[in-house]
Formats: sequence, structure tokens, C-alpha cells
Amino acid sequence: MQDPYELNECVIKKIRFETKDTNTYTLAFPNDLIIPEEEFKPGRFILLSIFGFGEAAFSLSSLIQNGTFETTIRKVGNFTQKLHSCKEGDKLYMRGPYGEGWPIDKAEGKDILLVAGGIGLAPLRPVILHIAKNRSKYGRLEILYGARTPNDMIFTSEFETWRKIPNSILRLTVDAVPRGVKWNYKIGVVPILFEDMETTPDNAIVMTCGPEIMMHFVVKGLIAKGFSEDQIYVSLERRMKCGIAQCGHCQVGKKYVCKDGPVFAYSEIKGLPDLTI
Amino acid sequence: MIAKVCKESKLAQFFNKLLEEYDIIAPKKKKNLYEFSEVNDFREVALDYSTTILPPKKYLIPQKENLLRFVKGEITSEEPQLKKKQVIFGIHACDLNAFLLLDKVFMDKFPCPRYVKRRENLITIALTCINPSDTCFCESIGTGPTPSKGYDLLLTKINENYYLIESGSETGEKLIKLVEGKEASSKELEEKNKVIELTKQKFKRRIYVDNLPELIQKNLNHELWRLLGEVDLACGQCVLSCPTCYCFDVKDELNLSLDSGIRYKEWDACFLLEFAEVALGGNFRKDRSARVRQFMGHNLGWGGALQYDVFNGELKCVGCGRCIKTCPVGIDITEVAAVIKGEKSVSEVTAIKNILTNVGEKNARSI
Repeated sequence: MQDPYELNECVIKKIRFETKDTNTYTLAFPNDLIIPEEEFKPGRFILLSIFGFGEAAFSLSSLIQNGTFETTIRKVGNFTQKLHSCKEGDKLYMRGPYGEGWPIDKAEGKDILLVAGGIGLAPLRPVILHIAKNRSKYGRLEILYGARTPNDMIFTSEFETWRKIPNSILRLTVDAVPRGVKWNYKIGVVPILFEDMETTPDNAIVMTCGPEIMMHFVVKGLIAKGFSEDQIYVSLERRMKCGIAQCGHCQVGKKYVCKDGPVFAYSEIKGLPDLTI
Repeated sequence: MIAKVCKESKLAQFFNKLLEEYDIIAPKKKKNLYEFSEVNDFREVALDYSTTILPPKKYLIPQKENLLRFVKGEITSEEPQLKKKQVIFGIHACDLNAFLLLDKVFMDKFPCPRYVKRRENLITIALTCINPSDTCFCESIGTGPTPSKGYDLLLTKINENYYLIESGSETGEKLIKLVEGKEASSKELEEKNKVIELTKQKFKRRIYVDNLPELIQKNLNHELWRLLGEVDLACGQCVLSCPTCYCFDVKDELNLSLDSGIRYKEWDACFLLEFAEVALGGNFRKDRSARVRQFMGHNLGWGGALQYDVFNGELKCVGCGRCIKTCPVGIDITEVAAVIKGEKSVSEVTAIKNILTNVGEKNARSI
């Protein structure tokens, strides 16, 4: 019987600086790839381990390619602080990927609206990469992205590439622009981007990720525009200790974020306790 | 099923035979209360016990258990070292049903090898309860006073001197051969039903299941939660004394040279503030009222068959009444259910009455 807590070795191949507190880590398996590629679906997460500092859950921020994949991590606590002191070549441990990801199959043939806040863009990046790779299978791609300031935006070096994906548009906003920083886009919280949004509810799927309170206003705004509750998918954040629906930490009413999510149709979680969405 | 009848003295002999081969855990008297403990003599076993202070869940999920060992870059899985088979002797239906619910969590989708090993090592000799305490309510939930499944053997005291012993598994059929007794007659089997009927009349509390899960879900904003949140001490005793509460934390412990250590799991409780913390100081159950609601909701609402198939009528609560007995401020899960079902008003709830009449501490139930 396989121990669900068994760990796989992985190595930090590359660290890319995104913002002052956020890095993207390219991870590889030192031996042969032991985890099947199809496990690395957009929206799923892994548990990373550093002995003595414990385990924490992080979403995949890329698809898997030649045995490597990426995860984008912001320094917010003990574990992530330790991780940020790691260097290229350092060894980590992981298990997973776990959970239900974004509905990329269900989204085929439909327009895709992605709404992200801050580091919430990270779990949506594999969706963008997947659509770019399988462009003909999807309709219009519209990305709405907001962050606190222009300096808090992640993946900025890829924005031009994303804009070149046929039939796609990237709209940006920030809460505030610090003095001396050049900014040619909107200022205001994410729902301000709905003003110019082209995606209509007719044949679209929405995927949103960001702070829960942001998703609350995104869902509210979209429903006001005629989107239905089962068209909107959200990704929830909870601290997880097991990743396999046993430890109880990520329980939201009858759902476990680790097993039933982290991605849920809004209609699935509406009305559950302890949610601000 | 094989059924035998024997005198208590023969039961003692049977017990001694078991002792030769197995480690036995049984209810033992501890001052005026009872506890599950390792037993080496039949005279230590209290077969007329009501409820033990703590449930026997620690024999399946220990309070602290190693998962992995890390030694200079090498990681190995930790497994329990079990020398002998264990027998739990005299487990009541409530606690046995709790085992069946724990099985669903730890053996169904992602079997935990440690749990599976312990479970497969455990023989269950159940006992029909004849002495429910005033906080028990298993009868109304259908999880007692006698179990209908999940035991290897079932004992029922059918009169002053005689026990009825029934097998419930292949292991039970082998074990029952060790009992010196005669085959049970239909009259003696009928006696068992009389004992059960008589016990049922002793229950003072009840929770009727019917549409309770749905009602809990519909009443997430009931003022009951806010008021209970004001009384509650968030001590977590209800969770620790609950036979089906299984939540845990995972932690690391390193030696001083930082090159080796263990990763272990440890009981945790949704009543504790830190339980639902997320990054950057966020906490999605910061208020005590939300934590009371989580405990009650999980037990009476969304815990049905532990999420794998919600609302199939099976509650996570098995009606042992320990959470009521242990609550320092008198929060009573049966009263919570009664309010949610509209059978009782909020002001009639003991714990709330205490704060409403401003004599909270004076009236608080002792532990």
C-alpha cells in the first residue's frame, strides 16, 4: 500500500524573480519523471516540503514540459521565507499534484474570461499556456488582471507574448501607482475592467483567482452582467496539511478544498459556511 | 452467525484464553468514571460501564503518530510496530459505529497504511449497552444501544448471571469456539431484545435525524451560533472527546544538528483559533460562533458519511454524549439540534440560559 505522505525528490532548476517578494521556481525530478504528465493539469496544486519547516500547498504556474514545471511563490510566512532563501540546484521534496483543476475540457469551443488578482494570476497561467498551445479549440481569450501596484504584477515579461496569442486581449489595472512609476492602464480594483470587457455570457467560461474578497466582487459583478453561477469558476485558498481530505483544515461545509477543489464552480460553493465569496 | 450462552465465570475463562494470545483493551473503573485501558485480569473489566471519559479512537489514530523519518537526506515511511493482535473487549455500539465512520476516512479513498495496519490488527468484541449515562442519545440516532454490524463478537448480558455471545465475522466464529457454553435458544435470543427494549427506555436525550443535515445547511445564520459563540470557551475538549473527530495537524521535529528528524501527525481541533489560519494572518473561522457552527455542522450536517457521500442519512455524530459531559459551559449538541429543528427556542438552551440570566459561571457544568 502506498503511503500518501511519501515524498518525491525534486530540484530547483531555475529561479525567476517576479516581484520583490515573489519568485517563479522551475522544478525538475533528478531521476526520471516519476509522476505522469497528465497529473499536471492547470489549477491543481502540489505540496512542497522542506524538512523542519513542514509542507505547504502551491499551485502549478505552468504546464509540464520535458519533466519540468513551475510554481510561483510569494514570501508570506515561515515556510515561504525559507524557500526564498533556497538557491538553484537545491533539493526539495514534493507530493501531488492534487485536486480538481480548471475546467479546460468543458471550456473547449467557448470564449474564456480569466480574472486574476495579484498572485492569483499564477494558477491561471497554465490555462493561458494551454490555450496558446491549443488555440483552435477555444474562442476569444480575455484576461483581466489587477494588482496593488505595477511593481506587484507577476509574469510582466510575458505580457507581450500573451497579447500576441490570436484573438486575445489582456486588460490591466492597479489599485495605486507609486510616484515615478509609469503606468498606461487603468487604476482601480479589478472589477473596474468590466467596463471595457468584451466577453459576453452567451458562450463563455469564467475562471477567477485572487483574494477571496476580490472574487466576491468579481462574481457579483459578473452575475450582474448576466453570467450564470455555473459559468464562473473560482479557486479557493486554504492551508492544507494532508491534501487528501483527511486532516480537516481546508473543510468548507461539505466540501474539502484539497479534494473537491481548489477550483469550484461558483454554484457548487454558494451558500457554504465560512466563505466571503 | 453462531450464538452461545454462558455464565459470567465462563466468560472470564474465555477472557483469560484471549489474554494468552492478545493484548486486551477494555473499560476499567477510574474513581467514579471509566476509561479504556490495557487490562490483564478479567476482574479489572467493568462490563456494567456507562460511557468512558475518552473514546477508544486513540487505538486507531494515536494522539501523535510518526509519518516519515528523515536521516541525512534519506526519507523513510514510519509504520507502527505491532507485536501482538489487539482485542478491544466490551466496546459499546456508539464507539464501534465511530470506528466504522473512521474507516471511511482512512481506508476508503486514500488508505493510510498506519491506520489500516492498526485496524486489521484489532479484534472487536462489542457489548450491548445496558447502562446509558444521562448524556447518551445513541438510541435516537440508531447507533445504539446494541450494534448491528462491525463486530467480531457481541456480548449481551441477558440476565443476572448469563451472557449471550454472537459472532459477527469469520474471526468471531473462530473465537466463539473458545467459549464454554451452550448454543443459544430462540428464547435466549428473544431475551436480548427485551434487554435492548429496556435499555432504550433509559435514554433521557435524543436527536432525530430525519432532515437535520438540510436544516443545518439552511440555518447557517441562525442567532443560535452567535449566542453559543459568546458562551463557548474554545477549549476544544468536545473535539478531543468525540469518537469520530479525526482532524489532525502535520508537523516536523528536527534534532539539534538539523540533519535528521521526524514528520508526525497530531490531533487537532476545529474549535481552536489557529485551525483555519491561512497565509498573511487570514483566518476563515476567526469567530468562536463560526467554530461552534463548524463542530456542530460537521457532526449533524455536512459530516454525513464524512463528505464522501453527504446527506445519505448517516450523521458523523454517534450519540455518545461525551461532548455534552465534557463541556465546561454546558453546550449540549442535542439542544442545538432541537433549536435547529424548531423544537426548542434559543433561550431554552442551557448554555445560553446561563448567559441570559447572567449566572454563567455559577451554573456551568463541571468537567
